[in-house]
Amino acid sequence: MVVDNLMQWFESWTLWEAGSPLLFLIVVVIAGVPIFLLMAVNALVAVYAELKISAFMQDRVGPMGQGPGLHAGKWGLLQTVADALKLLLKEDIIPTLADRKLFIIAPFIIFVTPFIALAALPFNQNLLIADLNIGVFYILAVGSISVIGIIMAGWSSNNKWSLYGAMRSAAQIVSYEIPVALSIVSVIMLTGTLSMQGIISYQDGTTLGILPNWILFNNPFSFIAFFIFFISGVAEVNRTPFDIPEAESELVAGFHTEYSGMRWAFFFLSEYANMLIISGIAAVAFLGGWHSPIPGFLESPGWSLFWFISKIGMLIFIMMWFRWTFPRLRVDQLMNICWKVLLPLALLNIFGVGIWTLLTG
Amino acid sequence: MSKYLHDLWSSVSSSMIGMRITFKHFLRIRKGNVTLQYPEEKWPRPERNIGFEHKDYNVIRSKLHVDMDDCIGCYKCARACPVDCIKIETIKVPKGTDIGITSNDTKKRLLVNRFDIDMTECMYCNLCVYPCPEECIFMTGGPNSSKHPIDYEFSEYNREGLMYRFATATQEEIDRYTDTETPEKPTEKEETE
Repeated sequence: MVVDNLMQWFESWTLWEAGSPLLFLIVVVIAGVPIFLLMAVNALVAVYAELKISAFMQDRVGPMGQGPGLHAGKWGLLQTVADALKLLLKEDIIPTLADRKLFIIAPFIIFVTPFIALAALPFNQNLLIADLNIGVFYILAVGSISVIGIIMAGWSSNNKWSLYGAMRSAAQIVSYEIPVALSIVSVIMLTGTLSMQGIISYQDGTTLGILPNWILFNNPFSFIAFFIFFISGVAEVNRTPFDIPEAESELVAGFHTEYSGMRWAFFFLSEYANMLIISGIAAVAFLGGWHSPIPGFLESPGWSLFWFISKIGMLIFIMMWFRWTFPRLRVDQLMNICWKVLLPLALLNIFGVGIWTLLTG
Repeated sequence: MSKYLHDLWSSVSSSMIGMRITFKHFLRIRKGNVTLQYPEEKWPRPERNIGFEHKDYNVIRSKLHVDMDDCIGCYKCARACPVDCIKIETIKVPKGTDIGITSNDTKKRLLVNRFDIDMTECMYCNLCVYPCPEECIFMTGGPNSSKHPIDYEFSEYNREGLMYRFATATQEEIDRYTDTETPEKPTEKEETE
């Protein structure tokens, strides 16, 4: 949407001929800046939220402070700003025996993955970089590129912890892609479209009298599909309780053990951006996207943005809630959940949704 | 199959129990908070009974304190210090100048313009306390609690804060006596020769 509009706007100047590759490049760069800002702000806010939520759940108060200097602002509000500054100023260390080229490229590949995935996430009626007709498919496909980056990081670090972490991560992401994709398939069977805006417009109106017509409430099978999607999504972004690639107590920090400074910050940024994307897809596919939770109430573009962001915020909060509640799973337990529980349930759901759509309509 | 379903149910329900507990703690943070915001809040000092009163202690090893009204700048404490953490500088005042007397009625003859105790170096040996003729350097609390209340923590934000500067001489005083010191110097040399 944004890209198309910008293209038209630039073309209206008639400086460039329509469809010029140079113009396309300029428009893409302009559209990319807000995505980067979104990722950075998301990381700043989410890290602060995570510090506070983890602290509250453990009866602590988290970062606290009264002002600049040694303290980090009131209630520690400037904590993440200080962290970001520290990461920017930190020395960049590359191990001597590391595979230098791969070591340098890996964080960028991992960073680029959520960056390009965010291009297809609709924030309200108009705020969408590109409304692809295969939006969901694009996001899921692009999301698995990060495995390449993780394996590169783990391999090039020349460190046993990194390699173990990378191998575990690859196994985990490849396995959990399947339940994620299958639970999305059951949504696509209902909506009949792969476009993100199409899926959202399907969820307009009410169901069962009062409930919003979200796919979550559409039928019992899609209700279960949401949980399958969300649990596998948490596993796909390597968060606790599925954080075996980073398992602090076993693997130091997994695939990013050897990274420091800004390169490490890229891993960190992409972790929180991945959370944003998984929550975003869950919100679009199951929770009505930018639709208001009360149908027909406050549906203007501004409020739509607010509803979408608060849905994402809720889901990110639940991810953090998971993290500070559950202990880490063993590798075999992780694979057990994926292949023996989530996958059969997802397949059953597809069957159930098929029957449901046949019967109702 | 029934075991599979039972396992599924028990894992889901037990996860719910865990999440309920953490959420309860999340909501109860104002009541359940265990963190003490240290410099702003402090735990109450516990009552204790060690068989005798604070004032009956023989010796206490705590923060050094100097009562500058009584100090005559004799350097005895600085010489006694095994780690040289006491740094004193004095200015000789001209004869007949009155810069006060101590509580032992000793006339002060030296203006103490620097009296620094580096508490990061102090090893709490108490050796500086005994030689003091005016009993003006002492450890706070214990038998001296009437002179200065005890300070357990003396914690600071940076290391410079543990450098205690006791000298009370004003810049004006220092300037006044350093000016008159220059003509005095020749006489001093004659004495030493």
